[in-house]
Amino acid sequence: MAVAVVRARLSRHLHLLRWVLLVVAVLVLVVFVLAQRQSIEVSYGQSPSSSVRIEEGSAGELSDATVPSTQEMTTLVATDSVVRLPGAVARWDEQRVREAIGDADIRILVAPPGLDEAEHDRVRKVDNATVRVIGTQVSGGGLVSTPDTVAGWRAQFATHDVTDQLTALIARLRKAPAPAERDDLRWREPSERELATVLADLRTGGSHVGRGATLDGVPEQVARTAFPDGAWYVALPAQPYGEPLPAYGPALTRLAPDQPIVVLYGGWIEYHGPAAAEFADLAAVSFYAQLGSRLSRYDYPQRNVLGAYLGKVTDIRYAGLFDRPLPYRPLDPLRVALPALPWIFTGCVAGFLVLSARSLRRSGALGVSGRARHGAGAARLAGLTALAVEVSLLTDARSNPALTRGIGKLQAARAALDDGLPARHVWELLDEATAELDETARMVGIASYRPASYLQGRLS
Amino acid sequence: MSPSLLIWLVGGVLLLAAGIVTTLLPRLRTRTRATRVAWSRARAAIDSATVSRDAAAVRLPEADRLLARAELLAAERGGTAAAQVATEHARQADRLWRSQS
Repeated sequence: MAVAVVRARLSRHLHLLRWVLLVVAVLVLVVFVLAQRQSIEVSYGQSPSSSVRIEEGSAGELSDATVPSTQEMTTLVATDSVVRLPGAVARWDEQRVREAIGDADIRILVAPPGLDEAEHDRVRKVDNATVRVIGTQVSGGGLVSTPDTVAGWRAQFATHDVTDQLTALIARLRKAPAPAERDDLRWREPSERELATVLADLRTGGSHVGRGATLDGVPEQVARTAFPDGAWYVALPAQPYGEPLPAYGPALTRLAPDQPIVVLYGGWIEYHGPAAAEFADLAAVSFYAQLGSRLSRYDYPQRNVLGAYLGKVTDIRYAGLFDRPLPYRPLDPLRVALPALPWIFTGCVAGFLVLSARSLRRSGALGVSGRARHGAGAARLAGLTALAVEVSLLTDARSNPALTRGIGKLQAARAALDDGLPARHVWELLDEATAELDETARMVGIASYRPASYLQGRLS
Repeated sequence: MSPSLLIWLVGGVLLLAAGIVTTLLPRLRTRTRATRVAWSRARAAIDSATVSRDAAAVRLPEADRLLARAELLAAERGGTAAAQVATEHARQADRLWRSQS
């Protein structure tokens, strides 16, 4: 008895387990499917710097400058070996470039920065120009010449100096050895008055915009992530070529050593202040190496250049350099569990299959229909059959039909029993047979042949 | 196709198949069993009615017609509903003959 109870309980538990396994399998499957929504997001330690895609022209990089038609430019270039279109900004050391050209027929076309796509195409189609300078981007013969040092970028963006690029490209076109790069940029100390003006602006508003600079406010959000403690911004226009630059950075750092200072000369951005030694060059190199090509061709307002630079600074900050602790990233349980999911799923499926097969076998649906449980039905059938045989000796024409019907029912019950039909049906047929035999016994007139008493007598 | 993806696909299909089989198989089995029970009952009733007809003294066209219909249904071997109708006809015919004898 106890064994049966335990078995019943076990069976119920297994039944429950089957559905639990199914639910788990489905859950795991759903988790797997949801985890397939992969995203490609590249960031420096989840840096909050913006990575929004910006449409061409929407960042104010196009200028009002335009260029004549290709035909006109071709004519100009044919006449002159160096053609400067209106609005052109690129400058170079003519002595060095002339030396580089030597006796070769090198024709230079200088276009303004900030041209749109159609204007670019027009400039590119001027076939007799050996070297094209668009903004400060130097190209020619299918090559583009760009600086790759901080000094080179500084000269290019602070003073529009393209001497090094020009000489390098011309040497390459002439198949001559590349000339050595030269840093011709000169610095000067800002005068007392200049420094006082700048310092007054910085002390009141945190930024100084020099005459001719295009900075119309510091992009606040990215400035906060780049320099959480605030910084001073000095914006100056691109400096005239050949003149020394006022070195505001070092001068201001001497006055306020703990203050981060960002100085803009045109498109060139410098950092001075705390940790400048390990930080400034890294920021400049990564910024100009990535964006130098666009900055040189286009005429971005200083605000946008500064915004992009501050974004880069934020990235560097969040990259965990300079002993800055990385932001805490909690363990993502999904990422950890993902490799195990297929196995959990497989286990659940296997368990569900096994338990399903078991439940099928137990319910007899796999064709192993139970002939085992003849039981009470078979015993009653045997008793009633014996009664019918005994009674059959005594019947007459009047009671014969009832007996025949009873025997017919008994045969049906036997067939049902052999076919493995449900016991209830067998019982029902036996009931009918009992009724017929009862009637027979009544007609014959022998009370002991009535099924109820006959079966009882057989049992006792 | 990675092996992991294969696991998901095959596992999902297996789960679905197991669910369908474990639902449909017992149901199908119950249906066929119910039909067999119904026909077993109908055949028993028809047999009874036949015996009653043979024992009856007079001919009853009405009962004959009912039994014939029941036998026809049994010969066509329909579903549970047909078996029930046949059982009903046979029992009615049986009652008619018995009331005569």
